[in-house]
Amino acid sequence: MVKLAVYWTGACGGCDVSFLELGPALLDVLAKVEVVFWPALVDAKVEDLEALPRNGIDLTLVNGTVRTEHNVEMVRTLRDRSRLLVSFGACAHMGGVPGLANLISREALLAEVYGAGFRPRPPAGGAPEDAPTALLPAAVPLSAVVAVDYTVPGCPPPPALIGDLFDAALSGDLPPRGHVFAHEKALCEECPRTREERVISRFVRPHEVLPDPERCLLDQGIVCVGPVTRGGCEAACPRAGMPCTGCLGPTPNAGDPGLAMLSALASLVRTGEEGEAAFATEDELLDALADPLGTLYRYSLPAYWPGAAVGRPGAPPRRDGSQP
Amino acid sequence: MPSTRGARATRIGVFVCHCGKNIAATVDVERATEALTAQDGVVYGTHHEYLCSDPGQEILKRAIRDHHLTGVVVAACSPSMHEVTFRRAAAAADLNPYLLEIANIREQASWVHRGPGTTDKAIRIGRTMIEKVKGNHPLEALEVSHSSRCLVIGGGIAGIQAALDVADAGFEVLLVEKQPSIAGHMAQLSETFPTLDCSQCILTPKMVEVAHHPRIRLLAYSELESVSGYIGNYRVRIRRKPTYVDPDKCNLCGDCVQACPVRVPSEFELGLAERAAIYIPFPQAVPSSYTLDEASCLGLNPLRCDKCSRVCEVNAIDYDMREEILEEEVGAIVVATGFDLYPKEAMAEYGRGTIPDVIDGFEFERLLSASGPTRGEVRRPSDGRVPREIVFIQCSGSRDPELHLPHCSKICCMYTAKHALLYRHAVHDGTAYVFYIDVRAGGKDYEEFVNRAMEDERILYLRGKVAKVFQQGDKVMVWGVDTLTGRRVEVAADLVVLAQAMVPSDGTADAARALRLACSSEGFLKEAHPKLRPLEALTGGVFLAGAAQGPKDIPEAVAQASGAAVKAVGILAAPMLTHSPEVAEVDEALCSGCAICVPQCPYGAITPGTTARVNELLCESCGTCVAACPSGAMTLRNMSGTQVLSMIRSALAEIPQTVEA
Amino acid sequence: MDEPGPSDPRIVAFLCRWCAGSGADLAGTSRMQYPPNAIPIRVNCSGRVEPEWVVEALKAGADGVFIGGCHPGDCHYVSGNYKARRRIHLLRRVLAELGIEPQRVALEWVSATEAARFTRLMTDFVAQVRALGPGPYARPPAGAEPELATAGPSATATATASSGAARPAERAAERAADRRAPW
Repeated sequence: MVKLAVYWTGACGGCDVSFLELGPALLDVLAKVEVVFWPALVDAKVEDLEALPRNGIDLTLVNGTVRTEHNVEMVRTLRDRSRLLVSFGACAHMGGVPGLANLISREALLAEVYGAGFRPRPPAGGAPEDAPTALLPAAVPLSAVVAVDYTVPGCPPPPALIGDLFDAALSGDLPPRGHVFAHEKALCEECPRTREERVISRFVRPHEVLPDPERCLLDQGIVCVGPVTRGGCEAACPRAGMPCTGCLGPTPNAGDPGLAMLSALASLVRTGEEGEAAFATEDELLDALADPLGTLYRYSLPAYWPGAAVGRPGAPPRRDGSQP
Repeated sequence: MPSTRGARATRIGVFVCHCGKNIAATVDVERATEALTAQDGVVYGTHHEYLCSDPGQEILKRAIRDHHLTGVVVAACSPSMHEVTFRRAAAAADLNPYLLEIANIREQASWVHRGPGTTDKAIRIGRTMIEKVKGNHPLEALEVSHSSRCLVIGGGIAGIQAALDVADAGFEVLLVEKQPSIAGHMAQLSETFPTLDCSQCILTPKMVEVAHHPRIRLLAYSELESVSGYIGNYRVRIRRKPTYVDPDKCNLCGDCVQACPVRVPSEFELGLAERAAIYIPFPQAVPSSYTLDEASCLGLNPLRCDKCSRVCEVNAIDYDMREEILEEEVGAIVVATGFDLYPKEAMAEYGRGTIPDVIDGFEFERLLSASGPTRGEVRRPSDGRVPREIVFIQCSGSRDPELHLPHCSKICCMYTAKHALLYRHAVHDGTAYVFYIDVRAGGKDYEEFVNRAMEDERILYLRGKVAKVFQQGDKVMVWGVDTLTGRRVEVAADLVVLAQAMVPSDGTADAARALRLACSSEGFLKEAHPKLRPLEALTGGVFLAGAAQGPKDIPEAVAQASGAAVKAVGILAAPMLTHSPEVAEVDEALCSGCAICVPQCPYGAITPGTTARVNELLCESCGTCVAACPSGAMTLRNMSGTQVLSMIRSALAEIPQTVEA
Repeated sequence: MDEPGPSDPRIVAFLCRWCAGSGADLAGTSRMQYPPNAIPIRVNCSGRVEPEWVVEALKAGADGVFIGGCHPGDCHYVSGNYKARRRIHLLRRVLAELGIEPQRVALEWVSATEAARFTRLMTDFVAQVRALGPGPYARPPAGAEPELATAGPSATATATASSGAARPAERAAERAADRRAPW
């Protein structure tokens, strides 16, 4: 029996639900594993976890972004007790959607939610250790805190890729350490939409148009980051008429996926013949791209901009001296 | 080709050149050598006074051998100076030349800075090239065999000259001309400046040479359909339109013209005379044969009309001729598609082309011409009277960025002076007025020629623009100004000749499209470099000659044509063509077929598909596609993203401080 | 001419070989003088420059990045500079939203004959970057260094090699000996 642990840090719960997508195959998996720790599913306590010996867990899947000091303690403990530790889902992989909170400082975030001057403290009359855990200055991916053996990317990971992980882990036929369970090629390979002349002559948001069901979404002005994103999801979102938002993470040679896609988008923008006469309309079109950070780094901001996002310590103050 | 990702273990040698005092005066070459030799991967470092000298080269070669170097960085002058030299030396020492890089520490450091910061910068520059060499792969220049035939598009004087020069050099030429005869506009001229040679007299011998040249295949009444391929290996499709007359049988008797019931305006005579549906544009046409114009013929069918074929004693007329498509392979292409005049219809202030006695320069040439519609007598189109008062308007459509064209058409001052002189010769009591802004006469004997016109007492040069030209009774009123006296001028002219601007011909636009040639905003073909490469298009293997490239006169067109011919022969005569191997490359294991790279390439070198494919011979290594590729599947050999990121980090890393020199 | 000390701006300059790089060479041949703060990297075309390089330069400690290409209409490879222009335009938007001054990235057109222009652009850009202060990664962040604000998920994403890519903490140690003058 393979001893399995599944843990969530700054998570939405979707990754835990995603195991159900395995369908009947889940029963085969469950037959081969012994769940030793999985807060969403079983009632094991932290003390049970801490009582395990080193490498007492064969396979640990951690989903969620690492946002609090408690998250850090937990994943460090899990790492110590696990033979294999897997980043499960986009949040653990790259920081995920919660990573976009890094665009404002921790102090500003807390002030926004709880009011100015908020500080976590224990309940009235309670012990100091009962205070809520502190937020880290910024959300970080799992690999920033502990060594990670494998990654199953996605928001949530598609069932095929979860299946691939379990096939490998349960059979013992594991790929080289560091392997990401997804395709090496970008999504376009599995996308059924047709591509003709690659030109972007407008930017529209998905809710603004009814897209042509046959043609590439990017060619229609809907920003799809499929070209920089690993395949393995059968291009589920483009098939359903929505653009890929990059949840499986970048292809191995893409580098920073936000910058790679930025370069591709800017290269494709065309407002007629290229030339000085077109500069003004090109700039207008480039400026019409809505929410560049959210579009280009939806799941990956902490992974690629760990120390320079607005408001983080070390970032230069704004011209007026303020921090947002 | 191996994939270029990743760095490899290397034994790099660093050679820092003093370049006499040029580098050593401001760069501490010893400290630089020490710092660079300490770099990871460098096993040998030295400095020398003049590395480009023979002894310097020997030191380089010996070090490569003695230290088994797998890469070399020469820190010296700009690579534009000696990269070839040093790479050749490396090859001589059995090191692949692409494993040698130049660090420019002279033009970019020692010559532009002073103080210890200079050495610091030289070290950083050297480091970046060490990092680059670490990622370089040994490459072989691409060799390709090629066709040794030349295509010349356009049979005007430039095309004719280029074809003759290439053929005389021993290579076969395909000369494609869309009119029924070669000759172009030069045949429409009466005399040429400044010699006043009879234009056809100096042109026709060249035309005859083309006709009889064993290595020139003349395809008249033909057009270029499409071109594919690349330098040395172009595949061209040419459409031969049917003339319906067999040129080998036609004996130019002209009986067909007498029999033909159709009369239409003659293109050659610019509408000043008519021709039949079957015609020869002018008597000295080459090919020497009549042509039946399908558009104006009554039907190409004996049931409709077969008068011409019935009178043809040699049975040269064949209504069943069909269009032919030829597919040919050529190694080089010369584009000599020529010019046209800016249409009179565009001149709103000069009558929009509706005033019969307002004509352009070519029409006037036909009037002057002894073989023209008026047998050389200057008579005005409206009523055939000899004009006593004639106005020439220079810069009509030229030098007018607001309303017409900004450029100067170069030849108009000269031919207007010529026109004025020839008019005076033909009409002794006539008066000519020349309205000009400047007089541009830069060629040999040109100034003297214009002065002859200016000194003629009945040729009046008036410096000023003409504001309006209009019909009044049987005169053409010309309202202009004489800026040198400040007075308005009104001339009641019998005939007005507009020196219309030179514009590229329609055939030029067609050729540019087929060959993907860049054009200026006015449509003239763009040369690779206006000063140093005026005869080459940016597309490899394509050369430019004549007025298609820009306004020019006949001697310039001929000179350019001969130059283009030599350029073409340079390709045709090479045993093999070589092409840089530092081209774009697709990693098929990573390419998703997104095709974002395809439209980035100005050379059309990338074909989309399941994975993108780069034609290495078309790729010019700009790397635009590489930067656009989102998934990192496209790379540029020996200038990969990984290499550059390494170079950047090494440029910014701290330099351990040693004792200052 | 100032000696570049640790407090002087560090700049990486990507110069296209046909225009800007040749203009820079001509400035050298003409013995024109300008500050030595920019380290040149020669590319065939400004269209080769990837936005990631600009960011990597900043992350490796550069205070500014300069890109030199051919004038519009003159690109040796026809249209590479047009792509460069659009990419940098969009990159500047992203940098601004991340709190990095877009003026730290310059894109200028310099022809092969414009030695004086190149010299002036270099001089002006160095002054401009100096006035902006240290770049976003030029020195350890003020206050507590978050020990977790580092690294990326996959090792292949940005292959961190040898010198210069060190974490802020290591870089701080490296520079311990450097007494940096405040800006």
